[in-house]
Amino acid sequence: MSIKRPPLFSPSRTVVIASHTFTQLVRMKVFYFLAFFAVVIIASNFLILPQFAPPETGATAVTENQLRMLKSAAMGTMKLFSIIFAIVSTALLLPKDVEDRTLYTILAKPVPRLDYLLGKLLGVLALIFVSLALMDLLMSGMLAVRANMVLASQMQLADQLGWSDSVRESIRSSVAMHGVTGSLQAGVFAIFLQSAVVASMALFISTFATSTLFTTITATLVYFIGNFQAEARDYWLASPDGGQTALAHFGALAMALVFPDFGLFNVIDTAIEGLVIPFSAIASLTGIAVLYTAIYTVFSWFVFSNKEF
Amino acid sequence: MPAESAVKIENLVKDFKTSREPLRAVDGVSLEIAAGEVYGLIGPNGSGKSTTMKALLGLVAPTSGSCSIFGRDSMKVDSRNDVGFLPENPYFYKHLTGAETIRFYGRLCGLRGKALVQRIEELLVLVGLEDARDRRLGGYSKGMLQRIGLAQALVQEPRLVILDEPTAGVDPLGSRQIRDLIFSLRARGITVFLCSHLLEQVQEVCDRVGIIFRGKMVKEGPLEELISIENQTEIILENAPPELIARLSAMIAAEPAATLVKTGRPRTTLERLFLREAAHQRDSETR
Repeated sequence: MSIKRPPLFSPSRTVVIASHTFTQLVRMKVFYFLAFFAVVIIASNFLILPQFAPPETGATAVTENQLRMLKSAAMGTMKLFSIIFAIVSTALLLPKDVEDRTLYTILAKPVPRLDYLLGKLLGVLALIFVSLALMDLLMSGMLAVRANMVLASQMQLADQLGWSDSVRESIRSSVAMHGVTGSLQAGVFAIFLQSAVVASMALFISTFATSTLFTTITATLVYFIGNFQAEARDYWLASPDGGQTALAHFGALAMALVFPDFGLFNVIDTAIEGLVIPFSAIASLTGIAVLYTAIYTVFSWFVFSNKEF
Repeated sequence: MPAESAVKIENLVKDFKTSREPLRAVDGVSLEIAAGEVYGLIGPNGSGKSTTMKALLGLVAPTSGSCSIFGRDSMKVDSRNDVGFLPENPYFYKHLTGAETIRFYGRLCGLRGKALVQRIEELLVLVGLEDARDRRLGGYSKGMLQRIGLAQALVQEPRLVILDEPTAGVDPLGSRQIRDLIFSLRARGITVFLCSHLLEQVQEVCDRVGIIFRGKMVKEGPLEELISIENQTEIILENAPPELIARLSAMIAAEPAATLVKTGRPRTTLERLFLREAAHQRDSETR
């Protein structure tokens, strides 16, 4: 049997570890529970009763509100679960392998440490991607059904009350804008990108953390700080003396470097509002997410490659 | 000793950082294991056995000194092509079945397709887990886990197998199976490097032994040389009448330089007694 000399990085070996990580996470019942919970939350949106408002005060506002509520709840849930998936699963996997000594048996094979790290990260990301895809499918299906129901009820109302063609057209346009759109899918993709950055950040923390709890808490804190770092950075840099003194300037820049600006990924609000997310915005977000993920992974590798077990 | 050693450790020193002063876990250990040999490293808990093994596997970096496997620096990944490792008290992934576990490790070693399927079957037979192949490891006993651990260690047909306390916590039957597996590895020319504090087992299977104490190698060499008492001779007789024993005793007494130290009946070991009774019981139940 001939075994090839292993290169620095092997995509096939990374895929083996990633697929195993995916299976491992799928077989953990906690993830079934979270997925089930997500489904329940999304499905509960069906229970929202249709609203009616006088046509002259805003027929389109009614349709928008109903569909916006559905999208907001669904995408909020998707975001919440993808972030929890990203932090908890990544924080759990590496220390568990060390604790159970399974890591010894893996690293005792011709497996470079980079392959192991990348495999773990990709496994987590695959799980998040699949989970989001399933939730997106469910949300889009529900939204399409809901949009048709709202449109039908509004048109029925329009017939009864004799609304003008321009009002009817306005309602149709509003429903189309708040239905299943490309921007909505782009918003879901932005959630995935954000989760990828969070997962790689949690992976980095777990390479030097002493416990799963520490990784989970620290990663959560970094995530929250990252959500507000843009405001804080702008405040410091724009304040009369803050931006001028070297220390404040350096502090603001250092914060911007250490904590990813998670606020950038909040384009889902645009999708919820039924507005268009330009392709350039998504391309730019993808670039930022790939950059952050790559930086965190390289940092993880630096720490992990010198780690002793 | 053949030109290419399976394992070569030269002046290995390993210090661990502590809050006070560095803790020296291994202090200038050197050893060499020839290809095909079964080598046992024995010593009390905390003597540096596991650290030596970890250094050999690249899991810890030597503070000074070097380790190599078949001539390759053990800190390099490619040195692990020829190594199988079974850690002490391994858990593995509980969500995988026995066959899936071997498949996972086989794929990590680059095995694919029919070769991998065939290897999985061979190993399951070798370690006697054919019936448990589709059972998840969460339901395996301690002995079964050790055996699946041995299977994963052997998946890429390594030339060197490193076993850290392979029978720790395993019952006598399971322990005997693992011992038999080590014998079969030796018969196939595979080098075995094992750590244990179960001295009787080391004595049974090892060709050479090293004794490590507080990080230092205090004694090392072929087992027979180390354990034989050079100025004593053992004669074991079967069906000898009492008259013969008396004559022999008289002859020895007549020789001033020799002293009869002990006569009596040799005893079996408790392990052999247990295994014989267990086998007897199993045979009577199958009849």
